Amino acid sequence: MSMLELGFWSFPVLLLLIFARAPIGLAMLGVGIGGIWLALGEPTVFLAKLKTETFTTFSSYSLTIIPMFLLMGQFATLSGMSQALFKAAESWLGHRKGGVAMASVGACAGFGAICGSSLATAATMSKVALPELKRYGYSGGFSTATLAAGGTLGILIPPSVILVIYAILTEQNIAKLFLAAFIPGLLAAIGYMITISIYVRLFPASAGTRPAVPYSERMLALLNVWPVLLVFGLVVGGIYLGWFTPTEGAAVGAFGTGLLAFASGNLSWALFRNAILATATTTGMIFFIILGAAFYNSFLALTQVPQELANYVLSLGLTPWMVLTLILVFYLIFGCVMDSLSMILLTIPIFFPVISAMDFGLVNLAELQGTMAMEVLASGVPPGMGAEMLESIQTAIASGAELTREQMAALDIRMTQGMANRIEAEYLAIWFGILVLIVVEVGLITPPVGMNLFIINAMDRETPMVETYKAVLFFVASDIFRVILLVLFPSITLLVLTL
Amino acid sequence: MQNSIITLARIMAVLGGLVLTALILLICVSVLGRGANTFAHWDRIEASAPGVSAFLLAAGVAPVPGDFEIVEAAIAFSIFAFLPLCQLKNAHATVDVFTSFLPHRMSIRLKAFWEIVLCAAIVLITWRLGVGLIDKMSNGETTLLLGFPKWWAFAASLLAAVVASIVSIYCATVRGLAAVRGVDVVFDEDGAA
Repeated sequence: MSMLELGFWSFPVLLLLIFARAPIGLAMLGVGIGGIWLALGEPTVFLAKLKTETFTTFSSYSLTIIPMFLLMGQFATLSGMSQALFKAAESWLGHRKGGVAMASVGACAGFGAICGSSLATAATMSKVALPELKRYGYSGGFSTATLAAGGTLGILIPPSVILVIYAILTEQNIAKLFLAAFIPGLLAAIGYMITISIYVRLFPASAGTRPAVPYSERMLALLNVWPVLLVFGLVVGGIYLGWFTPTEGAAVGAFGTGLLAFASGNLSWALFRNAILATATTTGMIFFIILGAAFYNSFLALTQVPQELANYVLSLGLTPWMVLTLILVFYLIFGCVMDSLSMILLTIPIFFPVISAMDFGLVNLAELQGTMAMEVLASGVPPGMGAEMLESIQTAIASGAELTREQMAALDIRMTQGMANRIEAEYLAIWFGILVLIVVEVGLITPPVGMNLFIINAMDRETPMVETYKAVLFFVASDIFRVILLVLFPSITLLVLTL
Repeated sequence: MQNSIITLARIMAVLGGLVLTALILLICVSVLGRGANTFAHWDRIEASAPGVSAFLLAAGVAPVPGDFEIVEAAIAFSIFAFLPLCQLKNAHATVDVFTSFLPHRMSIRLKAFWEIVLCAAIVLITWRLGVGLIDKMSNGETTLLLGFPKWWAFAASLLAAVVASIVSIYCATVRGLAAVRGVDVVFDEDGAA
């Protein structure tokens, strides 16, 4: 069997093992090791690799972010900020039709800003919001579905553990990914609120009403959430402004939320220990998958399957948009049965080279040059530039033509096709990352095995799962609508990067 | 036996968590130190308040030297130390839908089978890590900035990996034996099986 064949056959074998309930990390590790063994015909290489690879993977400075963000999420849960956020959102929105449900979504969005995990967000906010929703006469399935959907904002709104993994796999800038995730995250929250308002109009019996609270009370409630804004601003802003590396940002965030938890008086030794134990379990699980993925990916790289697959897809002559749609639909379907992190680790090394080979025309050289030229000209015509040159530049900009070398020299700017290609590659990686992030998160709320649905259902035994399933479909529809929007208009995601 | 295994796994996880917490504090101190150092060297502060600047620099505000070397060496121990608890709680990610139709006994046996394979993988990892440790000890490699021997970190990780292996072997044995009888074993939060 040739290397290439070996690589291709590894997919069905891996899937078979995973579907036969093998732990996903173990399946990837096993196929990776077995593949390297078969490909090279002897075990010495993987045995030598194992001597250092596990240690290297576990001691990665950039992966240190993951346990730190997880601990940060645990501290956030203990900080009492979930109550403050819900109270603030509820006092502003609660009197509207479906307002308490909208407030739950708003509070989830706020909590997502200091918590990088969907499950933690769903669990924490449910504890606060479910009793309140019940109290105001919201139906069981509608309440649980709202919180399951709201919980996904934990990952969509930065910081986000999944984005960290994506950034490391594709060697992208974490800060830019966080920034790009912000507007789609807000859109998600708004989309869920619109969904709620449609839902309560279709099913008026599913929600109760409540009188409005005075503005003074609303302001007071809003003031109480300042620590959330502070920690979020410090972490995401600090990383973006280059005050610290993403790992340092995660440490600062964990420290900040730890301080909030301590200040709230909730942080006893027993609770601190529980926070550590919860972090330990999840971290262990994640790193075992990362380890398996490291071995599987080095096997794939050995067989050159990712490049060959990219070439093959190119040779099919599909349009980039068709390829993108196929990949996103694949994630939607797979997300129904597999958790988001495993899916990312398993598929990004295969799909990313394919997507990178596509030309979506996200960046236009003439446009980039035009923008730069206009910036220069806006602060006055550079000294020494003749009227003739100025006119030729203005004509080029107006007609959307590329600038010549002389014109750029006269303006003292530099933007070549190569530079534009690099920008295009980065934009594509970021845009694709955000799209993938959203579609894999939809998996958390799609029946039959959406993890968020399970977590919330375990907290609300009175509501049958079927009721949650029915209501959650409305939120899934809102997610799909948002994905289509973001696919059709890449600039929604990329706009913040050009500022 | 069982209680001591559970205690062992929990102690390792808490140790790992305390190391993680210490790293968080270390990084925060380093960030603050770097910030204060930049502040003290800032032109305007040097010009308008030379006393403040001199005081800060004399107090030695600076980033912790080689902080990322400490982080890299210590975080590996933390992660290895988290594995025993993960083993004990059987917390590894799986896809359950396609096997959910299996009869109860079959499903338990399948789970136990994978647990045994997983145990073998962890023992393999531990063994190779041990060989890696011997390599690092014999070649005397040291870190770039702080110059401490690289095998220190390997040794700490190996200790945690050995505990992971012990816990893993125990879980695989208990769950494997129970599965033959068609019984599932869950190690409860409070330590009871």
